[in-house]
Amino acid sequence: MYSGAAEDDLPDDSEITQEDAWAVISAFFEAKGLVRQQLDSFNEFINSNMQEIVDEYGTFVVKPESQHNPGMAEVEEKEYKVEFGQIYLSKPTMTEADGETCVLFPKEARLRNLTYAAPLYVDLKKTVITRVPNTEPEIEEEHYPKIFVGEVPIMLRSSYCSLHGESGQSLQELGECPYDQGGYFVVNGSEKVLIAQERMANNQVYVFRKSQPSKYAYQCECRSVVENSTRNTSSMSIKMLARSGGKGGQAIRATIPYIRSDVPILIIFRALGLTADKDILQHVVYDFNDTEMMEALRPSIEEAFPIQTQEVALDYIGKRGSVPGVTRERRIQYAREILQRELLPHVAVGEFSETKKAYFFGYMVHRLLLVALGRRDQDDRDHYCNKRLDLGGPLLANLFRQLFRKLTKDVRSHVQKAVDRGKEINLMAAVNKDTITRGLRYSIATGNWGMQGTAGMRAGVSQVLNRLTYASTLSHLRRISSPIGREGKLAKPRQLHNSQWGVICPAETPEGQACGLVKNLALMSYVSVGCPSAPVGEFLEEWSTENLEEINPSVILETTKVFVNGVWVGIHRDPAMLVNTLRRMRRQVDISTEVGIVHDIRLQELRLYTDYGRCCRPLFIVDPNKKRLTITKDDIRQLQDREVTGFGWQELVHKGCIEYIDTEEEETTMIAMEIKDLENARDPERAAYTDTYTHCEIHPSMILGVCASIIPFPDHNQSPRNTYQSAMGKQAMGMYVTNYQTRMDTQAYVLYYPQKPLVTTRAMEHLHFRELPAGQNTIVAIACYSGYNQEDSLMMNQSSIDRGFFRSMFFRTYRAEEKKQGSLVQEVIEVPDRSITVAMRHGTYDKLDDDGIAPPGTRVSGEDVIIGKTSPLADEQPGVAQRFTKKDVSTSLRNSESGMIDQVMVTTNAEGQRFVKIRVRSIRVPQVGDKFASRHGQKGTIGMTYTQEDMPWTAEGIVPDLIINPHAIPSRMTIGHLVEALMSKVAALVGKEGDATPFAEVTVDNISAALHKCGYQSRGWETMYNGHTGRRLQAQIFLNPTYYQRLKHMVDDKIHSRGRGPVQILTRQPVEGRARDGGLRFGEMERDCIISHGSAAFLKERLFDQSDAYRVHVCDRCGLFAVANLKKNQFHCPACKNTTGIVQVHMPYACKLLFQELMAMAIAPRMQF
Amino acid sequence: MTTLGENRRLPHVQIRELKDDYCEFLLSDTDPSVANALRRIMQVEVPTIAIDLVEIEENTTVLNDEFIAHRLGLVPLVSNAVSSMTGVFETAGESGFMDVEMTLNVKCTSDETMEVTSNDLQLDPNHPEVCPVGYSHDAFDPEKKGILLVKMRKNQELKLRAIARKGIGKDHAKWIPVATVSFQYMPEITINRALMDTLSEQEREDFVKASPTPVFRYNNITKQVETDHIEQYHWDGEALAKAEELGKPGLVTIKERQDMFIFRVEGTGVLKAEDVVITALDVLHRKLYTLQTSLPEQDDVAPLPGVQ
Repeated sequence: MYSGAAEDDLPDDSEITQEDAWAVISAFFEAKGLVRQQLDSFNEFINSNMQEIVDEYGTFVVKPESQHNPGMAEVEEKEYKVEFGQIYLSKPTMTEADGETCVLFPKEARLRNLTYAAPLYVDLKKTVITRVPNTEPEIEEEHYPKIFVGEVPIMLRSSYCSLHGESGQSLQELGECPYDQGGYFVVNGSEKVLIAQERMANNQVYVFRKSQPSKYAYQCECRSVVENSTRNTSSMSIKMLARSGGKGGQAIRATIPYIRSDVPILIIFRALGLTADKDILQHVVYDFNDTEMMEALRPSIEEAFPIQTQEVALDYIGKRGSVPGVTRERRIQYAREILQRELLPHVAVGEFSETKKAYFFGYMVHRLLLVALGRRDQDDRDHYCNKRLDLGGPLLANLFRQLFRKLTKDVRSHVQKAVDRGKEINLMAAVNKDTITRGLRYSIATGNWGMQGTAGMRAGVSQVLNRLTYASTLSHLRRISSPIGREGKLAKPRQLHNSQWGVICPAETPEGQACGLVKNLALMSYVSVGCPSAPVGEFLEEWSTENLEEINPSVILETTKVFVNGVWVGIHRDPAMLVNTLRRMRRQVDISTEVGIVHDIRLQELRLYTDYGRCCRPLFIVDPNKKRLTITKDDIRQLQDREVTGFGWQELVHKGCIEYIDTEEEETTMIAMEIKDLENARDPERAAYTDTYTHCEIHPSMILGVCASIIPFPDHNQSPRNTYQSAMGKQAMGMYVTNYQTRMDTQAYVLYYPQKPLVTTRAMEHLHFRELPAGQNTIVAIACYSGYNQEDSLMMNQSSIDRGFFRSMFFRTYRAEEKKQGSLVQEVIEVPDRSITVAMRHGTYDKLDDDGIAPPGTRVSGEDVIIGKTSPLADEQPGVAQRFTKKDVSTSLRNSESGMIDQVMVTTNAEGQRFVKIRVRSIRVPQVGDKFASRHGQKGTIGMTYTQEDMPWTAEGIVPDLIINPHAIPSRMTIGHLVEALMSKVAALVGKEGDATPFAEVTVDNISAALHKCGYQSRGWETMYNGHTGRRLQAQIFLNPTYYQRLKHMVDDKIHSRGRGPVQILTRQPVEGRARDGGLRFGEMERDCIISHGSAAFLKERLFDQSDAYRVHVCDRCGLFAVANLKKNQFHCPACKNTTGIVQVHMPYACKLLFQELMAMAIAPRMQF
Repeated sequence: MTTLGENRRLPHVQIRELKDDYCEFLLSDTDPSVANALRRIMQVEVPTIAIDLVEIEENTTVLNDEFIAHRLGLVPLVSNAVSSMTGVFETAGESGFMDVEMTLNVKCTSDETMEVTSNDLQLDPNHPEVCPVGYSHDAFDPEKKGILLVKMRKNQELKLRAIARKGIGKDHAKWIPVATVSFQYMPEITINRALMDTLSEQEREDFVKASPTPVFRYNNITKQVETDHIEQYHWDGEALAKAEELGKPGLVTIKERQDMFIFRVEGTGVLKAEDVVITALDVLHRKLYTLQTSLPEQDDVAPLPGVQ
């Protein structure tokens, strides 16, 4: 294979093979797991962000409000300073109602509906400074160590979790599933995930062409945010006017914060202190020989001609500010402040920031002109380098910042009050412990992100962790949501963008409204947690980056502009050297591995990124000279026995074999798809695509996400089918966690006999699909046989079902607690006494034990009461004995379900109230109507079950478990389904797992040859005989094993019919929904059908008699409702005092209601006959 | 009305292999319908014994009651006594008994995982012959480990009463007496010698290899293609396709005989394979007899031999 190029002095075998790459991938998952992004970002929040926030906002000074004391001279001046210092977080704890505090483990939190949170303490310092005139100020300090300020929910398996560092056996002993990877919170007993929120990157300069007709032709914008601050984004934009018939040309104007109208750019430059046109042009054009660009600026220069000095320019801006009618002086001051504080705050804030801002502003204009002159294309809004992901950490940090500010504000006002009233300052009492506890809990529990009642709330940030199957849990923890309106019909943000390669799964997205807006991370993508930019800045300075203040703008043309997180920090004259050094340092981990280094040669820019939320992915580094990977066979060998050598992923990164490349840096790299491509590149004989590779993919199948990685041969399927399977895999039943018996999930599905698939992908190993599978290997015939499998229905072997094929358990948990109402009144769990209890249920109370709870092993069905509970009725008349003293508030089983009581848990909740959870189990045997799917988006419901003897059979006696229709294949083009089937057969015959990893070198011919060798028809066909007649079937049948999934949709949960039943109170029309025994809606379209059919009687029956038929009496004279007493045969109209001529009318109750509502609004609907 | 007279064929059975759990025989001189009837009856109408009702007294294992009951039902029970039993839907005879009651009472006391198998079942003292297949108390013989029911951890307990009854495979697959039954039509393969001679030696060898099963053999001495294990021909069509590919359609002709069937019966140990066949024939007989007696009297239909 190897060409043996002469210049290579390395031994041939030092190049690793594609197979070796899997050792690297294993090391990656061993080190990182699948929810690293969640854990990393949470740890970052706890370890640094929280303290940063406390340091930033935790200090305030209170002075007593000056009191007017006539005749008394000011004696002393007091100043009170409060500082929040070091924070301390303990392990998660739980305080029982009796005050006892103990360490809390997640299992207990889940079962008892507690919140898995750790108490947060902070050191408080109070300083009182007393200033008496003409003396040294007297300073009095008081320390309050470790004041409890609230509880912070802790992410499971993060560094502050009680389970941190535990593994295998010990996790089991703590009642946890060893395969559970954490990454979620437990709030009020329910597991919550924080969904990563996608947003546009801040501090980036974007240039867009405006769609015409519009006033402007081009727009350059920058959403500026100071790093780590709560300040709102301060957007500014520079716009070029559209060509408007001759006069003036295309002037360029800027929109800046707090200024009502657009300001010509030259005025802004002048306001920033650049008065001479030449200076200004130098900041924008860089190259004075560029006449085209100079020309483009001419209209702008002319436009600003009347304003030549800084003063005038500031005044011009100030006039357009939001405070009118003030003096010129104030206006200028105002404008200056706006420019200093609000214009491009990320560049700098405060005085003397004008030079930098002018450069940046000039740069923005330059970028705008480049696009306007057609030298560059407009920026791509959907390029993934322009996106940032806010994970749990940053989301919590923002929330915590808001809450902490509220806390300090409250403390401040408390202190202020105390000071003003001359009372003792009690800091302990000033700290409201509920602000942070409640605030965090509220947001995580409801998903409404932000402080309650504040603007900018985002819904759906926190979701209940999906526990249907293990893969769905994993996938949920790696989900990304873009908060763009779902209604937006704009297709572009929904489309798969090239730059998402390797970081976002191309297949896994929902269908319908959220399509393309909800995404999932690819298996190896890494989201940066952010690192300080200061070390990078220092480094740049060290390596002779020239500061903007110190340079002459004329040199910009020959040098490269250096940006750090969007801030233009300086210029450099030897960018190639600088980039090489930076890269080398990153590979040696002298600077953080997650720093993004982008050398944009065309724009003469070097952009460095250290911010959080960038999507990166690891790649093999290629030595560009040797055209070889820097990783060697020796590294792989060390990796393979990691246990002995301790050589893992971290070591690989430190050794410079692998680096993280973010989506922006990726644009400056040349990545080989396979290691083979490098081999080609080395060989001058071979026609290689290129020989300038800088990196190499670890494995192309790593572009897929969790759900798509379960699909065998996805590279043989039509792409939407992979998307469908990615959605369906989340509904498959299997083993969702190993500790399901000790959990009390509201709903849980578990398969009796889950099997690992015969055909697997390499990625499954890391998804633990073999250990926690979600399906069974099924012998599938693709055949037309008696016609009960048409239109995506399937036929199943009843004998297989009898033997336990796809049998499953369904658990539902009911809960009840003794709620407290007031101090004395409280609910009681007991068997309700019929003689003193009102509002008893229909169902039987016989299944309750003496304690009011149905015991385990009880068969329950229908509306049987399983938890008896009563609530006391308030005494209506004191002293009078009431018949009923209690009201029944029991819990009964859902009316359409039945099963056995599986487990009963009696405990106390956080308030110390009695708390009961009951788990009901029912066994679901596959039956006609249940839904099944292969792993290729081929779903169907059972149309018929046949016993073994009726099924077609082969001469070997093989009988299919399932027969699917051949028509399901051609139009859907799920070739992967067929290849999986073929390979499964070989796997079953050979007794080995088949490898169906995408982008590998397996071919159908290989598989066929292997099958032929096993003595079978090479394409998987078998001769079959009709089970009914015994005759040979004319066609050969494709009969092979295929991995099938049982989906959670089952007829027993859907079957519904109603003759009569409950009606709504208001309209007396039938209620809606199966759960309430509701009716089936006879809607407009159905109504239209019947009208056009002319069946008037049927129409009336559906819409009236079977719905809300009602009879009213109407006064013939006035046409309003009359009062009728049919028993006494008395009629009278209250409106016209008429007692005769009253008629009886049948009308829908809804109509009667409408009339009465109209009458309530003083409208008289009169019925005339 | 034709009589069965001279045209009547007498089916022949030729046993080719007979073991306790396997039986292969050749059925000839009859029609596919008869062969298929026999196959179907062997599968689902030969009565056997299986656990049908489980009363659980104590179950602290990881598997729930339904799960264990289902697994117990699938345990194959030696069913030689089935002929003296009465099924639930049959009228009870004086001699027949309906229930065989087994019990299971195990508790794990060791720290190691304990495997509860069919060997832990305690048989009905009245009917000790009804026992799980491979029932033995030799704990150390790995061959006689029994059928796994559930695994237990320390202090888990399982105590139940299981009632075995007679039944047929139509009602539930647990009563199916065989692992599989199948028959195939006897193929007839003729090689067109004249055409074969036009092939080169290499082509002949390729032709032989084209078939996944050893239907043809290349004789190295005579350099001829010969038929080998004809019965293993599974109508895969590969040989015919190869002939087509070689440009010699009609190189071989393959026909299936409509009056000769190779039957293969694989038992589960519940009944001996031959007993399954014999009982099946018996059931078939009875069915035909029932049919015959229900049909209006016809003079020219002679009673079937062997049926009273």
